[in-house]
Amino acid sequence: MSAKRIARTVIAGGAALALLAGCSGGGDTDGKITLDVWTFGGMGLDEAFATYQEENPNIILKVTNAGGSDEQAQALTTALAGGKGPDVAAIEVGYMSQFKAQPQNFVDLRTLGSDDIESSFLDWRWSQGVAADGSVVGIPTDVGGLAMAYRTDLFEAAGLPSDRDEVSALWPTWDDFIEVGAEYRAATGKGMIDNVNSAIFNPAVRQGSEMYYGDGDDDLIYDSNPDVQEAFGYALDAIDAGISSRTPSWSEAWNAGMNNGDFAVLAAPAWMMTYISQQAPDTSGKWDIAAVPENAGNWGGSQLAIPAKSDHPEEAFAFIEWLMSPERQLEIFQAHGNFPSTPELYETEDIQNFTSEFFNDAPVGPIYANSVASIEPIFEGPQQRIIDTAILNSLSQVENGEEPAADAWSTALKNVKTALGG
Amino acid sequence: MVLSAPPRSTPAPQRPQSTKSAKSTGLKPRRRIKSASRVDAFAPYMYIAPFFALFAVFGLFPTVFTFYVALFDWNPIGGQTFIGLDNFVTLYGDERFWNAMRNTFSIWILSTVPQLLLALFLAQLLNNARLKFANLFRMTMLVPYITSVVATTIVFASLFGRDYGLINSFLNFFGVESIDFAANTFASHIMVSTMVLWRWFGYNTLIYLAALQAIPKDIYEAAAIDGAGGFKQFFYVTIPSLRPVIIFTIIVSTIGGLQVFTEPLLLSAPGLTGGSGRQFQTLSLFMYEQGFGNFQFGYGSAIGVTLFALIVVFSVINYLLSRRITSDD
Repeated sequence: MSAKRIARTVIAGGAALALLAGCSGGGDTDGKITLDVWTFGGMGLDEAFATYQEENPNIILKVTNAGGSDEQAQALTTALAGGKGPDVAAIEVGYMSQFKAQPQNFVDLRTLGSDDIESSFLDWRWSQGVAADGSVVGIPTDVGGLAMAYRTDLFEAAGLPSDRDEVSALWPTWDDFIEVGAEYRAATGKGMIDNVNSAIFNPAVRQGSEMYYGDGDDDLIYDSNPDVQEAFGYALDAIDAGISSRTPSWSEAWNAGMNNGDFAVLAAPAWMMTYISQQAPDTSGKWDIAAVPENAGNWGGSQLAIPAKSDHPEEAFAFIEWLMSPERQLEIFQAHGNFPSTPELYETEDIQNFTSEFFNDAPVGPIYANSVASIEPIFEGPQQRIIDTAILNSLSQVENGEEPAADAWSTALKNVKTALGG
Repeated sequence: MVLSAPPRSTPAPQRPQSTKSAKSTGLKPRRRIKSASRVDAFAPYMYIAPFFALFAVFGLFPTVFTFYVALFDWNPIGGQTFIGLDNFVTLYGDERFWNAMRNTFSIWILSTVPQLLLALFLAQLLNNARLKFANLFRMTMLVPYITSVVATTIVFASLFGRDYGLINSFLNFFGVESIDFAANTFASHIMVSTMVLWRWFGYNTLIYLAALQAIPKDIYEAAAIDGAGGFKQFFYVTIPSLRPVIIFTIIVSTIGGLQVFTEPLLLSAPGLTGGSGRQFQTLSLFMYEQGFGNFQFGYGSAIGVTLFALIVVFSVINYLLSRRITSDD
């Protein structure tokens, strides 16, 4: 319900039309090549685009920002369905499984030399862009390494330690995390986290080696995988212990809550640091960053793909290769907080010594580097997002007191079945 | 797919009159056409062609194509398999469809009934001869109608907010507990209906006002002489005279109400399910979720076809009712 989201949704309608109208081109004038690039908000690539443009006068970058990742996915779907598309398209990882299930719409990047750069990326992150038939559909952009952002002032007021190492030590496991939340509730009468979906279920369910799929598009294990049920159980326990402030992510109340202290802990992938500092500028220095329980997690990130209809796949790939090179990713991280997906950077001083003033000078570089290092590749099938939505909705229903917790798991399974059958 | 809002044109003049005038002047022009060249005879069709050409491309073709797509398992960026009526069989057994149907009707009733009553009441006030600045007030009625739905939704979403909403602050002041409007089924219908009502009441008010001004004054004078007071005049003179217009507004509100889309979509963002329990997902939003969110164009089209049929049925019922009522006069 956030105003920004709403505005984005509307802009997207127009953008989708504009994109369709614009993408017929690729017209080359004076031997110059035009690359159509479709992105969405928050990718932090603008300066890099400008640099590339300066360094490559023979290429004209035509960048279109569709608004949000949902709008971008819809615009791309519409374009591909109409047999068109840009030269480079950003796809948010949540949508990746839907697109890579139809790899014929994209250039298999192995034909353009993706094998040469594969080794510089995190392997689990790379695999998110690989289709079931082995073709490489997208090159990873940043990685949404996960940490917990928390309010030192609110923790002190609740009688909890506020030093980041002590806070990380408070919650090595999710059970400990929930216990801290219960203490916070007892001391302040408030919820500690924003909501159980983004602070608990999402990170917890991605800490195993499998999620909803086993090892193929038809191997659905969402109902039998103990990891899913365990993460679901943590979320239910958290609701039961009253540790949630029941504030939906991306809502107006969420933005306001960052300022007002309606909640003290927020699952914060690297790219969200910028978001928090923009939404709650007055709380500068009151935030700090601690590790996420079980110390591994990812939220977000995108892949850059080349639609099969592109007139200039070679140039497009050269551009992607340049844009996602370790040097460039480091610059993007330093300017915007989007964390690099190339592990060779993690041990460098640039990352190890990187701190954030807004977050009380926390050494966010090494914290995020640790959180992405131990993630295992997870196979995501074509219905990944549909299953995710159904399960998360069931948790929200319990969180809002609209459904009893005892039935939640069976309701979730039933809803997933309905969604997959439809 | 029938996503767009229905065109809300002003009511057509009563039919008997127009056909009569055509008959009385019918002879001369017909003779003239006979003697005119073939180009002249063709000209009128050329004048109306732009509309029909555009309608064929953007209205008729998509509608017909929707019927075709509904027979397929159709992935917009993947394969298409003919599956006959399977989409419809699945749909009519799909809980989410019946849920969306219930929501649609609930929101339609909650928005249309108070909306038309309010419009009638306001029209009556605005028609008062002693009203100062009447034009100013009449123009003001249209402001919600011309305001962007997005702006309206942002304002209403914050009014109805759970923690910081003005309405809940108000309720708290009177000792009533806060309502989570977005989470509770009935409360969310009230919220969506309020937005729909806000957008359309001014439009209906002006239609009623125009109709009110067309009622001859002497009928009221005669009623007054017969001893009818304000209320009796309203129920025995005003309402019967407005009957065709009331029927028209009901038909248009029905078509619009069955297609409510933007408000629930914006309230549902970033998801498309209309709340975590699909508590305010309407048929249009369900169609959009399946088609554009889940890449199931075939299934989405089946929903579109069903919605189309539903609207046709309701329009026919309305038409028959209105014919019976107007012929009673």
